[in-house]
Amino acid sequence: MVDHQHVGFTCTCPSRNTPCKHALALLLLWIRDQVVDTPPPAHVSTWITRRSAKQTGSSRAAVTGRAASEPAGSETVEAGDAIGESEPTQPVPQPDRDTARNDRVERMHAGLTELDRWLDDRIRIGLADPSLARYATWDDLAARLVDAQAGSLANRIRRLAGLVGASPGWHDDVLAELGLLHLLSQAGRHIGSLPGPLADAVATSVGWQVKQADVLAGVPDTDHWIVAGRSDVREDRIEVRRHWLRGSSSGRWALCLSFAAYQQSLDTSLRVGTSLHADIHRYPGPALRSLVGSRYALPVEPVSPPSHTIAEGCDEVGAMLVTEPWLDRLPVTIRARLAKSGGVWALADATGSLPVLDAGTRQFDVGLAMLLAVSEGREVDLTVEWTPLGVVPLSIHLPDRTVDIGPRANASFVSAA
Amino acid sequence: MKSVDEHWQALVTTALLGTDRREPPEAPQLIADLVADTARTSASERMLAQVAATTAVRRAGVVPGPPLDELAIPDGDDRRPCVPAAVDRWHHITVSWPVLEDEWMLTLVTAGWRIAPELLPAMLVRYRSDPVRRTRVMVGAGSTGRWLVGHLPDLAARHPNATVTPEALAELPELPIAPELAQLVNWPGAESGGVLAQSLEDGTLGHPHRAMLINLVARVRADALLDIAEILDAVDSISAGYGLATVLGDLATTRHRMLDELSTSSAG
Repeated sequence: MVDHQHVGFTCTCPSRNTPCKHALALLLLWIRDQVVDTPPPAHVSTWITRRSAKQTGSSRAAVTGRAASEPAGSETVEAGDAIGESEPTQPVPQPDRDTARNDRVERMHAGLTELDRWLDDRIRIGLADPSLARYATWDDLAARLVDAQAGSLANRIRRLAGLVGASPGWHDDVLAELGLLHLLSQAGRHIGSLPGPLADAVATSVGWQVKQADVLAGVPDTDHWIVAGRSDVREDRIEVRRHWLRGSSSGRWALCLSFAAYQQSLDTSLRVGTSLHADIHRYPGPALRSLVGSRYALPVEPVSPPSHTIAEGCDEVGAMLVTEPWLDRLPVTIRARLAKSGGVWALADATGSLPVLDAGTRQFDVGLAMLLAVSEGREVDLTVEWTPLGVVPLSIHLPDRTVDIGPRANASFVSAA
Repeated sequence: MKSVDEHWQALVTTALLGTDRREPPEAPQLIADLVADTARTSASERMLAQVAATTAVRRAGVVPGPPLDELAIPDGDDRRPCVPAAVDRWHHITVSWPVLEDEWMLTLVTAGWRIAPELLPAMLVRYRSDPVRRTRVMVGAGSTGRWLVGHLPDLAARHPNATVTPEALAELPELPIAPELAQLVNWPGAESGGVLAQSLEDGTLGHPHRAMLINLVARVRADALLDIAEILDAVDSISAGYGLATVLGDLATTRHRMLDELSTSSAG
C-alpha cells in the first residue's frame, strides 16, 4: 500500500529495502496514470485513516514541541512509517553510523552470549540427547544467529547439523566443532581485548561484513598468482565457489569466493592451471580471503605451484591453523599417490598418508575417479583442500597441463558451472 | 601422563553422557595451562574450555597417518592419449551435438589414440547402460579402463552380460535421411553446400526438416565439411532459413574440427 499524499508505504514482503520494489512499482504505475480509480478496499481505508489520525497527532505534537523549543520530530515519524510499521512510533533521532554500528555490535554480542548458553546446555545434557538428531534444534539457533548478524556462525551451525549421525565417529566431529564454536563465541565477546589482526580474523569468522569497496581500497598484494585449485560447495541455498591462488614470489595463499543462488552464475574468470599477474586485496586480518583487483596481463599456462611431501604439507596446514584454529578448509599442494586403507581412499607417500574426504554413499566421487584414472596409482603433484574430516583433491598438475578435478556445482542449479 | 589424544577420547566419553552425569576429565598439563586464564565455576564451562583448547591443539598439530602400500599399476599402453582439445570437444558434443558421439569414439580407436584418462570416468558413467558404446570405451581405454573399473565398482556396466557384435562395434549407426537428401552424402562440399543453402534460402527446406538435415551433415564426406560450413555461413541473414543454416554450419565446423583433432597424422 502506498500513501502518495503524505508519502508512506507498507508491504507484506520481507524486503529490508525502503521503499520495497512493490511500493516503487505502485508509485510508478500511479505517476504513469495506470492505477485504476476504484474505492479503496477495507484494509486500505483503515490504514489511510490510521495514518491521517497519526498525522494530525504528530502535527499537534510538533506544535507543542516547537512551543517547548524542541526540534520537530515529524520527519522521523514519517521515516518510521515509511518502513511499514503499522503501530505509531515515538519520534527518535535518525541513527547515525556509529549508533548503527554499536547496535549491530550489541546484537552480535547478544547472539554470541546465546550461542554460548546453548553450547553449555548441549555439553550439560550430553551428545546422546535425541534432540540433536532433529534439524530444528540446529536450525532455530542458526536463525537466531542470522538475526544477531552472525551469519558465518549460522552457516557453521547448519553444516554441523549435517554431521550428526553421518559417520560412526560423528560424536568426535560434532564435539570438536562445538569446541571451536565456543572458542569463536568467547573470542567474539572479548573482541575488544584481542590483538588487531586476531580481532579482524575473529570478526570475519563470526560474520562481520566488510564492504568489497573497503577491501579493494586496501594495499594490494601484487604477484603472479597461480590458480591452483577450485571447489564448489552448496551451502544452504547458495552455491559457493572457492578459487585457491598461490603467489609465485611470496608463496602465500589467497582465497577468492564467488556465490550463486539458483540459476545465477559463478565466477569463471579464474581458470585452474593458469597464472595471473594481478593485484590481490586481502580482507582484514590474517585471513586468506581476498578479492582480485587490477589484472596486468592475460593468464598464462601451464603453471603449477611447488609441491611438498605429505609431512611437509601437514606442517604448512598446521602453521595456518595455529593462527586461526577455526578454519575448516585450507589448500596445500603435495606430491602423492592414491592408496587404500581399510576400504578408505587416502593420499600417501613415503612420509605418511591423509584420508580422502568421503563424498558419501549416495553420490559417485568423480574427482576421485579422475585422480585414479590420471595417476594410474603413481605419484602426481596435486592441490588438495584440507578439511578436518579428510582432504578433497582439487587439481592434478601434469607437466603439460593441469586437470581440474574439484567438486563442481550442479549445472541445473547454477549456470556456468 | 595422558597424551592429548587420550584426553580427547576421555572428553568425547564425557560429552556423550553430559556433564550433569559425569565430571570433565582432568586435563594434561598442556591443556590445563591453556584453559587456566579464567575461573570457570560450572562443570560444563570447564568442559567446553577443555574441548575448545584440545581441538585447537589437535588441529594445529595435524600429522600424517602411517605410510600405505602402493596400488598395483595397470599394464602399459603404447597408444598416446588423445589431445586436450579432443577432450574438450567430447564434452562439447555430448552437450550440443550428441549425434557425433559414435563417430568421435570410432575415429579415436581407428586412428590409434587412447582415451585421455581424465575423460574415462565421465565416459564410463555416461555409457554404463549402453553395451555397444561402453565396449568401444573399454577398447579405447585399454588396460586402464579395466583397472579403473576394478577399483571403482560404481563404474561397472549395468548389463555386463550383454553381447555386442563386431559389426555393431565397428560401424557408425545408420541415421534416417530422406531419399532425396541421401544422395548429397557423397557429393563434394561445394555442391552439397550449395544445394542446402539454396533450399534453406528459398524455403524448400526448413525447421520441419531439421532432424533430417542434422543427420545429413553428420554423415556427409569429411572433406566436404569445410566448404559446407562456409557456404551455410553465407546464407542471406534476412531469409527464413538463416537460423537453421547457422545451426547446420556450426555442426559442420564442429565435426570438421573433431575429425581434425583425432586424425591419424596427429596420433603419429
